[in-house]
Amino acid sequence: MRISVVGSVSLHLFILFFTIVSLPLFNNDELEMPPVIQVELIEIAEKTNVPQISKKKEDKKPEKENKKEEQKLNQPIQKPKEEKSNEKVKDPSTEEKIENKKIEEKMIQNMPVRKPEIKKKDKFDPLKLAELIDKQKDTKQTNPEDIVEKDYEALDSTPSLDKRLTLSEEDAIRAQFMQCWSIPLGIPYDETMIVKIKIFLNTDGSLLKPPEVVQHERMNKPGEKYFRTLAESALRAVRRCDPIKAPEAERYDNWKNLQLNFDPREILRG
Amino acid sequence: MKKLLVYLFPLILFTNISFAIIEIDITEGNREPLPLAISEFFHDNNQEIIDKKITENIRTVISDDLERSGLFSSIDDKAFIQNNRAMHLKPRFADWRLIKAQGLLTGELTIEDDRLRVEFRLWDTFAEKEIEGLVLITTIDNWRRISHMIADKIYERLTGEEGYFDTRIVYVAEEGPKNKRIKKLAIMDQDGANHKFLTSGKELVLTPRFNPVRQEITYLSYFKNLPRVYLLNIQTGIQEVVGDFPGMTFAPRFSPDGGKIIMSLAREGNSDLYVMDLTNRVVERLTDSPAIDTSPSYSPDGKKITFNSDRGGSQQIYVMDSNGRNQKRISKQGGNYATPVWSPRGDLIAFTKFYQGQYFIGVMRTDGSGERLLTENWYQEAPSWSSNGRVLIFYRETKANDAGDGHSSSIWSIDLTGFNERKLITPVDASDPSWSKLIQ
Repeated sequence: MRISVVGSVSLHLFILFFTIVSLPLFNNDELEMPPVIQVELIEIAEKTNVPQISKKKEDKKPEKENKKEEQKLNQPIQKPKEEKSNEKVKDPSTEEKIENKKIEEKMIQNMPVRKPEIKKKDKFDPLKLAELIDKQKDTKQTNPEDIVEKDYEALDSTPSLDKRLTLSEEDAIRAQFMQCWSIPLGIPYDETMIVKIKIFLNTDGSLLKPPEVVQHERMNKPGEKYFRTLAESALRAVRRCDPIKAPEAERYDNWKNLQLNFDPREILRG
Repeated sequence: MKKLLVYLFPLILFTNISFAIIEIDITEGNREPLPLAISEFFHDNNQEIIDKKITENIRTVISDDLERSGLFSSIDDKAFIQNNRAMHLKPRFADWRLIKAQGLLTGELTIEDDRLRVEFRLWDTFAEKEIEGLVLITTIDNWRRISHMIADKIYERLTGEEGYFDTRIVYVAEEGPKNKRIKKLAIMDQDGANHKFLTSGKELVLTPRFNPVRQEITYLSYFKNLPRVYLLNIQTGIQEVVGDFPGMTFAPRFSPDGGKIIMSLAREGNSDLYVMDLTNRVVERLTDSPAIDTSPSYSPDGKKITFNSDRGGSQQIYVMDSNGRNQKRISKQGGNYATPVWSPRGDLIAFTKFYQGQYFIGVMRTDGSGERLLTENWYQEAPSWSSNGRVLIFYRETKANDAGDGHSSSIWSIDLTGFNERKLITPVDASDPSWSKLIQ
């Protein structure tokens, strides 16, 4: 009896503890936010590929660090990065893509780090410092491998990220179906007039198999003529758009199955 | 058991994440009319009894009906790639999709025992299947009604609501100078064809209204300078006076079952609403106010009546139970309201509104909310609903110039969206139209 009570209590405590500790990791809005903001700033494919790159970096990094140490004097441009990684200062380049304002703040933080190195070579020259900052920006953009993984490891471990499409990818798909969909303007306004269609796509954006109406039972009910009309118009739109101009094939898993919600309610309300 | 729990635990944590399918909301689309390919119906050339023009005309009537609705566009037949009998059996859908047709109408005409047999099929070119098909048999002269009926079927299949093409419009035909106007009763198909005058014009006629269930009209005509309510059977031509009231009667309209007439009756300068049962001619008084109550119209279920009254100081729209109880004003925005008409769908009331010097045709919900003004003009009034409650017809007058010329009156239609405003062509000036239900 005692054993089972103790067991039960400890298991409950474990679940409670694990829930408190683990859930924020998976459902933390802040972790999910960056990719969404990224999409608005930069083109689709580059952004969402970033988390995959980070895995490769782990192996290459130690080598690079050694090389960089050797080349310290010859290549002053790379130094600041090196120091940052040694000091475990967050690399502003990741934030850079996330929020422009943050970039400026981080740059200011990094400046004192760079100053001593410059002094080693030359006397302080504000013009050169400015030049250095500019170059630093360039090198970071041209060498994506230098991106510190910490942030991206977190992103990688966010399962929902894999399932998402970027906003611009969504918009691109939406725009195509909007073009193809002739809204049945004759049907009267009704709060339930929304048809959900699942589509299954090949890598080239063509239909893998016929689209499925989620509410197909309602479609075939005798009194649901308006709904049938709406569903048929949506099915025509899907076939008319076949094949769609698909997002990157590399991330096919993200968009191979989609649910399209054709919702004319705002338009029918008049 | 413990092991099972240990294995299940991580699954529970991940369920909400791992099964999410990406949803994309599509809340906008193409508002252009749906492009349809309407082919000329095939017929065997050996059957010379069929006038070649009939096949052309059938296509034209169907195509015009659907285009006039504003919901469909008919693709020019010069773009058609396939045009033969095989297409009626199994069209080459890819060809039709190429010219952007979303629907395709094919058909075949034959003569059987001197009667015209019309078979048609409607195809969804994207789903690649037949979605509607019927055979209609009639006399050869009746090809026009057949065409309207086919247009109705297509409309119904593609919009989900009943068509309104196989219908008629009765109206007041007007001729002559404004101070000496001759007003005759006239009837035509909804597309303006088969136009006929029903009265000679000796007596002034006003406010004709269709019986919702029979080919019958009630209207107002003057007899010895007194307005009287008449009934006219348009199939037999028999005309009769409805009752013999001591005062003047106005604005008659049928109940939804066609068995009663509701009207306004003026006695000693006060006008109230009355209903008459057509079978036993018993008259019942519904309102009793010192103001002018007029223009009554039943709800489609017959349980409510909307009417027009100035009891509050200005002309407004009221609703009451069909026995006259629970009278309630529903028009709330500024301006004067007149001629309320309950939609056959039951959800809206159409009206004429006079506001800041302009006339509007509009609709509101039956509790007065959601008022929408569809069209504005110098002078227009008297809306009448299409049988499916989607389109309104009304009449509009143009202003005469200083010399008194240029005045005209014509019938217009507009749909509930406020778009697709069209003028109906009539041989003479026209006012006060009434739209029939589908001809049975």
